[in-house]
Amino acid sequence: MQRNIQKNGLVNLAALLVAGLAAFAVASYSQSLAGHVALVYLALGVLVAGVSWFQMRLEERERLEKLEFEELSRSRSASALFEAQSADTFPAQRAREQFERFFVPAFTTLLCLAEAAGAFFFWQWLAKPTSQVPLKEPMTAIFLFLLLGLVLFILGRFSATYARLENNRLLRPSAAYVLLNALLSAAVGVGIIGVQVGFPKSDLYLAYALCAILGLIAAETLIALVLEIYRPRVKGKVERPLYESRLVGLLAQPEGLITTAAQAIDYQFGFKVSETWFYRFFERAVLWLVPLQLALLLLSTAFVVIEPGEQGLLERFGKPVPGRTVLNPGLHFTWPWPIDKVYRFRTEQIQSFIVGSVPEEKQAAQRVVLWTVAHSKEENFLVANRDRSPAPTTPSGQRRTPPVSLITVSTPVQYQVTNLVLWAYENEDAPALLQDLATREVTRYLASVDMTDVMSRSRWEASKELVSRIQAASDERNLGARIISVGLQDLHPPVKVAPDYEKVIGALQTKQAKILAARADEIRTNALAAAQATSITNQAHAESLSRTIAAFAQAARFTNQIPAFKAAPSVFAERERLRALVAASGQARKYLLLSTNNLEVITLDLQDKIRADLLTDIAVPEPKK
Amino acid sequence: MKRNPLTLTIGILLILIVALLLFVFQVRQSEVVVITTFGKPTRQIKDPGAYLKWPWPIQSVHRFDQRVQNFEDKFSEGLTSDNFNLLSSVYVGWKITDARVFYPKFAASTTPIAEAEKVLERLLSNAKAAVIGKHPLSDFLSPADVGNRFTEIEDEILAAMRSELLANDYGIEIRFLRIKRLGLPETVTQSVFERMTSERQVLTSKSQFEGEAEAQKIRSEADRKAAEILAAADGQATQIRGKGEAEAAKSLEVFQQHPELANFIFRLNALEGALKDRSILIFDQQIPPFDLFRGSHTNLLSK
Repeated sequence: MQRNIQKNGLVNLAALLVAGLAAFAVASYSQSLAGHVALVYLALGVLVAGVSWFQMRLEERERLEKLEFEELSRSRSASALFEAQSADTFPAQRAREQFERFFVPAFTTLLCLAEAAGAFFFWQWLAKPTSQVPLKEPMTAIFLFLLLGLVLFILGRFSATYARLENNRLLRPSAAYVLLNALLSAAVGVGIIGVQVGFPKSDLYLAYALCAILGLIAAETLIALVLEIYRPRVKGKVERPLYESRLVGLLAQPEGLITTAAQAIDYQFGFKVSETWFYRFFERAVLWLVPLQLALLLLSTAFVVIEPGEQGLLERFGKPVPGRTVLNPGLHFTWPWPIDKVYRFRTEQIQSFIVGSVPEEKQAAQRVVLWTVAHSKEENFLVANRDRSPAPTTPSGQRRTPPVSLITVSTPVQYQVTNLVLWAYENEDAPALLQDLATREVTRYLASVDMTDVMSRSRWEASKELVSRIQAASDERNLGARIISVGLQDLHPPVKVAPDYEKVIGALQTKQAKILAARADEIRTNALAAAQATSITNQAHAESLSRTIAAFAQAARFTNQIPAFKAAPSVFAERERLRALVAASGQARKYLLLSTNNLEVITLDLQDKIRADLLTDIAVPEPKK
Repeated sequence: MKRNPLTLTIGILLILIVALLLFVFQVRQSEVVVITTFGKPTRQIKDPGAYLKWPWPIQSVHRFDQRVQNFEDKFSEGLTSDNFNLLSSVYVGWKITDARVFYPKFAASTTPIAEAEKVLERLLSNAKAAVIGKHPLSDFLSPADVGNRFTEIEDEILAAMRSELLANDYGIEIRFLRIKRLGLPETVTQSVFERMTSERQVLTSKSQFEGEAEAQKIRSEADRKAAEILAAADGQATQIRGKGEAEAAKSLEVFQQHPELANFIFRLNALEGALKDRSILIFDQQIPPFDLFRGSHTNLLSK
């Protein structure tokens, strides 16, 4: 019996080794990511199978040693040589004990490290874009992985059943790994099938899942190592191999879970659910229900529903089906995979991308957009300077400043796919090409326009011009797209120089304000001058009239005075003289000297006296304290 | 050893399907396929459909996309003929024209398209630098009415690349080449910012002083105009006064009837006018009418 266990263990080891080499070749050639990660499980299986086989050999040697000892004990029962059972008496037993005490924990530690390192390394590797390459010979890879899975499954089932027998505990770890690798090989095959039927990430996701499971196995192994330190040693009790993973056993034989669940249901309901007709029918039917489901799954690929806003391309054996190349929204019947395949595209739906500065989410929520405040990750475009003056001279060795300006622009481009056949079959990456074309047209357009002009007057025209240019470029490249709109958003000088642009606007306003103030002054000055001129002329008119009237009035009076004078010349003259004296000296200060002494000297002080109130009315400030 | 016939049938069917898949392969509309027999390219298939082959490892299928591939080079720095540093990036549309030639040159790589694009990038780098070096900056950046040579430059780079590709047959052709972006190195960008700032400062000062000058002109013009108006008004006033004088002179004939009396009255009027404001008159008792005081008691002290 023991010999059979050893033989089985060796077969497991050899099978895992050969399967590992075959899987390595297929995974490397086909470039399957999950296939690469599955190699770690095969390598771990080889190590575990090798160690368990070695342990089986030690136990077999111990058993033979004991048999030999018992044989000798019976033949020479009286001999003193065999009375003392020292360590030297049972070298095989001692070797097995030493192996279990030192090698097995050390190996399990290394196993744990290898599992953790494998999970970490492959997780990192999968994250690299360079590792994700297209599959090669996928059909061959599917076939070989499924075949590998089948072979390992048959071998693993036999081995697992055999391991359930008493004293075959050491066969369990390798049997579990053989079964687990059978399932993983099949899973890798299914993952590649997923890629073929339109789930391109299925291989990648499976690889990630395998990495995660590997990490869990490493954690379980670590916990087992820690618990092993505190485990009570009971003499005579059969110990479970430390390197045997319960998780691997559970994954390899998931029916164990079903049996446990059935037992739990039995306990819960109080009668044997597992013995009812339904349970028994389910057990029998599961064999053909699974293929039936697979067949239904395959049949479901013959029904295609194209969603609103989408169109599909129908290919039969890779060739567009004449008359049905483009499928419009609705239900369509096709041949099942892999005969017919449908590729979906968003066509009616308006799609968009941004050329230039892409607004950041946080800043896009701002209600006020100013040139002087950054509101996107700024991307500057070169603009030609209309002023063709030569660049300013700089000290030798320094770069000259080119006669160009920089402008920040964010240009959302909206488009629709109008010809799906052209869109899908002419260019490998039509959306990326359209974005490149649009960027080129924006660059070229800005390189040929005046900055101030495009920021103000010609903005609308620029937008229209860009639509027609991008449309023309798209048509030239047979993209099958219609450009709906090109918006020139956030068209302004870079944030760094924007304040100076605003100052120019401020200065223009100041200029206008000064001119307007001068205009107001002009109006005032001219109006006042006109008024003054009118006043001068009016005054002249008045004076002229007054003078004329006065002259004629005086003449008329004179005419009347002549007869009076002629009548009494001296009286008239005296009367007039005295009247004039009275009229003239009415306001004058008069001094009358009545002195008869001609020799007397009279001194008169004719100075005006200062009015007393001129000084008294002035308030004298108080002295400072 | 009793076997379920359904299980057996399904198993055989599955094996048949998988075996069939090993012998059959599809070529898509967008693909070109090279079949290798023991590693040697033996067939090239461009037309879509289902085809037969021997299973791996006898024959292998190598698929390539035969649509136009879009490739963009790095945003790299070059020197124009007038010694300006200019950053540029170019995108190139290329496609595989002969997969049998293409396959052996790039099959060693797991990503032959990426490998081919590395070769294109090298060729493009040389061609781009050479063409940019022949043109001044104004050929790239000029107002539309002045005219730039953007498209011509693209055509020159394309021609240079095509000649390189012809010299070394890679089984690919370049369909188009376009300049995607232009830019300036960071240090030059800073200088451009400074120049843009200076330009704006010039414009700011210009606006400010133009405003002042304009205001001054308007004011002086207004002053001139006002002076003109006043001068005209003064002139008119003088004329009016002259007319008044002339009109008044007509009355002199009346005075000529008795000139002595007229002159006497004019003198009296002049005296009257002259003594109107702040006059001090000192009279003695000889002057009429103060001669009436003659002989009266005065306040003179007797000796």
